[in-house]
Amino acid sequence: MTRQLVIERVVKEFPARGNGAPVRALEGIELEVQEGEFVSLLGPSGCGKSTLLNIIAGFQRPTGGRVLHEGVEVTSPDRRRTVVFQDYALFPWMTVQQNVEFGLKAQGAPAARRRDIARGFLALVHLVGFEERYPHEISGGMKQRAALARALAPNPDILLMDEPFGALDAQTRVLLQEEVARISAETKKTVLFVTHSIEEAVFLGDRVVVMSARPGRVRTISPVLLARPRTPAIRREPAFVSLVEDLWESLKPEWQERRTDNA
Amino acid sequence: MRTSLVFKATGFIVVLGAWQLLAGLGVVNPFLLPPPTRLAGAAYELITDGSLFRHLAASLERVLVGFLLAALVGIALGVLLGWSRLVSDFVRPLVECLRPIPPIAWTPIAILWFGVGNAPSYFLVFIGAIFPVFVNTFAAVRNIERTQINAALCLGARPGLLIRDILIPASLPIIFPGLRIALGIGWMCVVAAELIAAQSGLGYMIQQNRVLLQTQNVVVGMITIGVVGFAMSGAMSAIERRLVPWSQAAR
Repeated sequence: MTRQLVIERVVKEFPARGNGAPVRALEGIELEVQEGEFVSLLGPSGCGKSTLLNIIAGFQRPTGGRVLHEGVEVTSPDRRRTVVFQDYALFPWMTVQQNVEFGLKAQGAPAARRRDIARGFLALVHLVGFEERYPHEISGGMKQRAALARALAPNPDILLMDEPFGALDAQTRVLLQEEVARISAETKKTVLFVTHSIEEAVFLGDRVVVMSARPGRVRTISPVLLARPRTPAIRREPAFVSLVEDLWESLKPEWQERRTDNA
Repeated sequence: MRTSLVFKATGFIVVLGAWQLLAGLGVVNPFLLPPPTRLAGAAYELITDGSLFRHLAASLERVLVGFLLAALVGIALGVLLGWSRLVSDFVRPLVECLRPIPPIAWTPIAILWFGVGNAPSYFLVFIGAIFPVFVNTFAAVRNIERTQINAALCLGARPGLLIRDILIPASLPIIFPGLRIALGIGWMCVVAAELIAAQSGLGYMIQQNRVLLQTQNVVVGMITIGVVGFAMSGAMSAIERRLVPWSQAAR
């Protein structure tokens, strides 16, 4: 196993609005991710987990520290790190097929090869028969499947998923968690998965990185000692239940504090 | 669909009927407002001697050239200024100062610069049409969702592909209404330009017939302008539905 992604003392500060103090979104984040590992980033909203993902993707630069992808500093987006967004970010003017082909088109792959590869990934996410539909013609769950296929098609090293199921209903969410568990096992991708659902973080992750807010920092890192592949039955295992409860107990004070803040 | 079409036509029929009736009763002066039957006769003559189509073709050619130039420059300017805040801060105040000047007010200087002929018409159509195209393109590019740009970037899109496959199509649903408005304004501008600065075209035809006191020909020219403008707007909408089928549903 090699360290594929190294996050070194990453700090992110946003400039002050008006005459307030600058906002520190991330404080000294340290994390190493092994090749093929599935890491869940868990935390309350506002803890900077999406900001961290944006920095890893190369969309934003850290104020301090750095991110290394196979030893090379990340300075801009790169197709070796593709992203699945919460709001899907599918291109509405392209069919599902064209969306999935986009990364291959950017590489300059010939049309026939693009089509074949895209078909393969659409089969993987169970979207056969929907190739020629436009995003507005399919359901939210199907959109996220399409977005997942689009992110996998250029064969990235690391898949970055930013609360991908946040906009979906509970049933679709559970089904897609199982799909992601299966697909990540089949494709052996390194995955960084941002979520605020404890169950989701535990169900999918090899490790759960718990973040706390203001400023965002890594609070604890819990290994998930559950067998792979992850199947629905795992949710009833004592190890799953007790880890979810432990994480909930450790997060509860902060969650409650935020609730009274917001009220 | 059929009933609504009949219903839409009813308005025309009622107005034309009342108009004919008032002219027949001698309420309106037939010289100042010729009745529909006389207009039909005048239209028939202008069509059969070919002059209506000759003038119409001249006007259409002018509006198309001016409009296409405006679309090209307006979209390019909108994309550039929408994309770069630096360029925008530099150029935008100038554009915003030129925008309120009505195209008619450009006519004298257009004649001085270009003389009489096609060139001042191209220019005036261009001036009238460029601003709606520019304003809509600029707004469209400014309002593109950041995540769509990010999605394209992380999939490896380079600037060329990003502009062609993301920026332009993402902006089209907003650019298109701008183009439709621009064509409408361009059509008004070409007629205004021809009233003064041309030797052919519908505007020229109207002006010449006014001098010759041929009121019926003046009104036929006006009606032609209205009908053609209406048809152009409909054609633009049809093209829009074909080219941006996602825009209604996605918004």
